[in-house]
Amino acid sequence: MTRYIIGRFVSLFFVIIAVSMITFSLMHAVPGGPFDEEKQPLPPAAKANVLRKYGLDQPVWKQYVLYMSNAVRFDFGIPYQRPTSTVAELIRNTWGITAQVGLMTILLAFGLGIPLGIIAAYNQNSWIDTIVTFMSMLGFIMPSFVLGTLAILFFGVYLGWLPLGGWGDTGCLVDRYFCADWIMPVTAYALAPLAIIARYTRSSVIDYLNSDFVRTARAKGLGERTVMLRHVLRNALIPMVTVMGPIIPDLMTGSIFIESIFRIPGLGKYFVTSTFNRDYPMVMATVLLIALLWGLVYLATDILYTRLDPRVRLGAQEGQ
Amino acid sequence: MTSTTTSGNMGAPNNPAAPVSLRKHRTLWQDAVRRFFNNRLAILGLIIVVIFLFLAIFADFLAPYPYDKADFTAVRLLPGVNPKYPLGTDEIGRDYLSRLIYGARTSMTVGITIQFIALLIGVPLGGLAGYLGGAVDFVVSRIIDVMTAFPGLIFSILVISLFGGGMWMVIFALSITSWIGIARLTRAQILSLREKEYIEAARCLGVTQRGIIFRHLIPNSLSPLLVAVSFGIPAAIFGEAGLSFLGIGINDPIASWGKMVGVSGAYVRVSWHMALFPTLAIALAMLGFSFLGDGLRDALDPKLTR
Repeated sequence: MTRYIIGRFVSLFFVIIAVSMITFSLMHAVPGGPFDEEKQPLPPAAKANVLRKYGLDQPVWKQYVLYMSNAVRFDFGIPYQRPTSTVAELIRNTWGITAQVGLMTILLAFGLGIPLGIIAAYNQNSWIDTIVTFMSMLGFIMPSFVLGTLAILFFGVYLGWLPLGGWGDTGCLVDRYFCADWIMPVTAYALAPLAIIARYTRSSVIDYLNSDFVRTARAKGLGERTVMLRHVLRNALIPMVTVMGPIIPDLMTGSIFIESIFRIPGLGKYFVTSTFNRDYPMVMATVLLIALLWGLVYLATDILYTRLDPRVRLGAQEGQ
Repeated sequence: MTSTTTSGNMGAPNNPAAPVSLRKHRTLWQDAVRRFFNNRLAILGLIIVVIFLFLAIFADFLAPYPYDKADFTAVRLLPGVNPKYPLGTDEIGRDYLSRLIYGARTSMTVGITIQFIALLIGVPLGGLAGYLGGAVDFVVSRIIDVMTAFPGLIFSILVISLFGGGMWMVIFALSITSWIGIARLTRAQILSLREKEYIEAARCLGVTQRGIIFRHLIPNSLSPLLVAVSFGIPAAIFGEAGLSFLGIGINDPIASWGKMVGVSGAYVRVSWHMALFPTLAIALAMLGFSFLGDGLRDALDPKLTR
């Protein structure tokens, strides 16, 4: 077990190094830079000064080594777009909002997806099941910006119930514990993961409802409540850990589309401007953050899975 | 197209005691086609996809106006106001119906080209990794690992920010990540097929390497690949629409549904049609391809049908 975890960390390390190298060399391989004439018109002497200040006059490999050795000490440099703050501060501010959206989306997706899946499984082939299946199919297929646009048109423009965009600006109640402009982005964002969760919960619960030990539990006269809580759900929800794995980092790093369509000042929206301004430190930090988050959450779900289900042995899937 | 190995498993057993076969002999593919056409959603998906392909191919004849013809006297007309523009006009007075039809051409071109490139890169790489194993497999697998850790959309944005937008750049940016799923699938397929008894039998009979690859391994991994491609096309369409929605995809005079949705954001209060129609077009295309993909999967993999 320990050996396996160490191995995974080593491979995660190499993946992060590879990702950072690809990003860095890609950014520097193409002619042009953040302080080109059309972006920042500066006299030659001033430009040379700026380049020296940010180390851009050095060879690329030296810049990379410098950046990475600083990054290890959590110093991600200074964003070229806003030299008065650090990249770490900028990411903290923008990611704070993104993570807020993500957290609410996770709560909604799991809080609604799992019960819906269970209800659909218990009432297999009833009208509830049909509705849940249909909804999860829609959520599965539709891109979030399609859902977001339709929601804006219907609830925002046609009915006029909800604000069209913004984050924590309009319709806030009780000291911003709830804001009306949270509803649409979170709902539009949550539908896809909600669909996946409901679908998996449904099929997993159905599998266990038909299993031998559930029939035994019923035969020995256990109440439906006990059967469901102690026998069905306890087993059926274990595979959900593997479904949660990819969903959580995905939601926590946010959706560029949701942020752009609802004008949320989050990390994703900032990333697009950063890449187009060639803000190397900002882009590198964002990419590193996302890659690290993905790697850690995947590892965590794999470990959690063996804790919950002792039949699964780590490393077994590697051998094929 | 008949692969002898699988139809032998699927067809009626060759029992000498029952010389008259009750069921007409059908190959695996004929079986799949029959199952596909018994699936109503799959047919609906096929119809939607065929309609979009038809629009894409014959856009020049079907669209009432060229995609870039602007009428500055009729800017942002709502649908039904002027009979010349049944679905209204956009922010510089281009006929919305024509833009939507040409948008189908952009989406289909991007979606199909990207999947074609994905097959072209993914199948040989994944196949070689699975078949040869060893060092080749190690290298390919590590490339796949790294590319998986890279968030696909972010990579595409990065590439486009460096090399500029436009249709071919969008195809390039999305292709870089699109082959990975195909390569991983091909590798897994070949790995599991390689150990099957009939491959061993073929080897014992003296079938050449080339014969094993082209007669046994490739035909038998075809159906999962077909399913993967049919789900990959809507994913690629979504990728293009997303990049264009952000304003960094398809360049201006060319019509793109995603770009139409993106532009409409500024006018959503009054010109609702500008947001609604392209959104519905994207939704319908995604729906069509997904139904088609589901149908193909159910038809080609009978073990999954309940």
